[in-house]
Amino acid sequence: MLAAVGPPAARRPDPQRYAMAKQQQTVLERQYSRLGLLLIAPTVLVFCAVIAYPLVSAIYLSLFKIFTPTLEGTWVGLDNYRTLLVKGEFWTSLRANLIWTVGTLTLQIIFGVGMALVLHQNIWFRSLARSLILFPYFISTVVAVLVWKWLFNDLYGILNHLMISAGLIDWPIDYLGTMPNAMISVILVGAWKYFPFVVIAVLARLQSIPDQLYEAARIDGAGPIARFFDVTLPQLREVLVVIIMLRAIWDFKEFDLIFLLTGGGPVTSTQTLPLVVYKEAFALNQMGMAAAYAVIMMLIMLVFMILYMRRTQREDT
Amino acid sequence: MADVVLSNVHKKFGTFTAVEDLNLDIQQGEFISLLGPSGCGKTTTLRMLAGLEFPTSGEIRIGDRVVNDVPPGDRDIAMVFQSYALYPHMSVGQNIAYPLKKRRVPKTERAGMVAKTAEMLQLTPLLHRKPKELSGGQQQRVALGRALVRDPKVFLLDEPLSNLDAKLRGYMRAELIELHQRLGRTMVYVTHDQLEAMTMSDRIAVMEGGKLQQFAPPQEVYRAPANRFVASFIGTPGMNIVDGSLHEDAGRWTFTAPGFSVDAGQLGPDARPGPAAMGIRPEGLTIGSGPIQGITQLVEQTGHENITVVRLEDGLRMTGRTAPDRLWRTGEPVQLSIDARQAHFFAEGPTGKRLNRDVCTMDAPGSNGTSLKEATS
Repeated sequence: MLAAVGPPAARRPDPQRYAMAKQQQTVLERQYSRLGLLLIAPTVLVFCAVIAYPLVSAIYLSLFKIFTPTLEGTWVGLDNYRTLLVKGEFWTSLRANLIWTVGTLTLQIIFGVGMALVLHQNIWFRSLARSLILFPYFISTVVAVLVWKWLFNDLYGILNHLMISAGLIDWPIDYLGTMPNAMISVILVGAWKYFPFVVIAVLARLQSIPDQLYEAARIDGAGPIARFFDVTLPQLREVLVVIIMLRAIWDFKEFDLIFLLTGGGPVTSTQTLPLVVYKEAFALNQMGMAAAYAVIMMLIMLVFMILYMRRTQREDT
Repeated sequence: MADVVLSNVHKKFGTFTAVEDLNLDIQQGEFISLLGPSGCGKTTTLRMLAGLEFPTSGEIRIGDRVVNDVPPGDRDIAMVFQSYALYPHMSVGQNIAYPLKKRRVPKTERAGMVAKTAEMLQLTPLLHRKPKELSGGQQQRVALGRALVRDPKVFLLDEPLSNLDAKLRGYMRAELIELHQRLGRTMVYVTHDQLEAMTMSDRIAVMEGGKLQQFAPPQEVYRAPANRFVASFIGTPGMNIVDGSLHEDAGRWTFTAPGFSVDAGQLGPDARPGPAAMGIRPEGLTIGSGPIQGITQLVEQTGHENITVVRLEDGLRMTGRTAPDRLWRTGEPVQLSIDARQAHFFAEGPTGKRLNRDVCTMDAPGSNGTSLKEATS
């Protein structure tokens, strides 16, 4: 706010000139600066209370060995991290976490872009279809998972029933109790639940691509496939980068869908890092260790975040 | 030989008729303007030529083949869009090369053609820039380059200069004329700007309400407008058009309006006695002397001349050109005369046909040119 003094003088590191520039501020400019500070103050306070404090607190907790019910603990320094990094559980969970994230995200993007392209066409009931497509995204995760669990059920599930009736299988498939079925099922349900987000974001972008670009491409001799790769896809690139970054972060920390569907099982095959955090904190009563897992997760997502910020900065320059 | 032919072309969007029974014969190498107000069907016509719209009925020929069912990319045409429609993620060079790439021109050959086109349009230093890093005029030249590079049979230009500022527009107009002379290709140019149409075209197709009103060289459109619409659309300031009536007396016609009458001389075979209109361009009025009385209402000084609006006794307004050294004050009484040799006569109605026998000229008085009669009132 205060840096908005104006001419380049303010941006140079020369302290004398900076001081001069500051003096050159008119009364009105100073008033505006004060008003600016006042206006951002509420946001800064809320940010501190709900983001900065929990973050610092989590890092602090991760340096203790804490018994959850009493929240009493002893200082262990970086011991939690040391234990965590040599434990097999962290690495298998990270692996499951990455498989889940990459798998579900890829399917979300493919279904999402495909469906957006379909809904962008002049089809019958287009507006109705556009509203219906949002259904999985709006439905509560608990409800969706309960429905899917019934569909997947190996004894009464309709999926098995239909596949046996169709003669595709002779014996019911255990969708959630064996590997790799459990992981595939979780990934599919995740893709079903979240692809509408991709549809909406991509559709909004598709609608803003000027028709004249397609017309120019047609005159230049580009067929439908060439038009998709030379006009549509480059135009979607920026929105896809944003979608992938956001969904990668959201999918990486997904908890309820996996927890409710498989509970991390069979055994720990679909146990992703958020599930480990929950287990450590509330099943094993190790709040300190849970905080350490959470901090590690944050660091991994920070990598995504830095990549994303670098990317947007490069686009700007 | 006709290069582009539209025969009985109709285009309907639902119940709306955008183009009605259009017939155009465009000669090889001609520069044709499609001119008219918004919604007159000129852009639809161009888009049908491009293959972006399909005629409801009728036939379109380019060269020696009917192209109704030929996709845009195979019509041997290139189009420059009003918004330029450059591919934003491609550099200038890639934009220009794109039509060649889609036609599978080998890479080495492609590079040479792009370089040559860029050279011609002074784009060489910009080849590696992205469109958004260019000014409007530069983007315009890239769009032209993309059209020029594959040397198509016909160029289609959809209001290509309308997004440029006035000075650049004048410059690009000259560039386009020169380019047309150099390439000798058929060009079809859509514009609502009569100045562009007048200065650049070999012939102008004036359209209104989906119908072709006149298809003639610029001078003819100006001096012998086919009907009242063309007369009022072409020319700045516009032609003065006065409603009145025509009377015949032994082969000689007289036009009478409230406040004055004009000897129309001999008119063409379509002339009928009764309601009609007279049109006179500002240069056909003499302000300062004459039999008609009026009051100056408005004077616009353009520098090299003044545009003077005179109100006649019954509220009729006439616009004339006057020399810059004689400045009338608003409200000052003036006399006015009409040069009957320069008057056009039109049948009744907004697109009433022109009734004169010849082209009106200032230098060579036509058969209908005689002196002005006394004011009747």
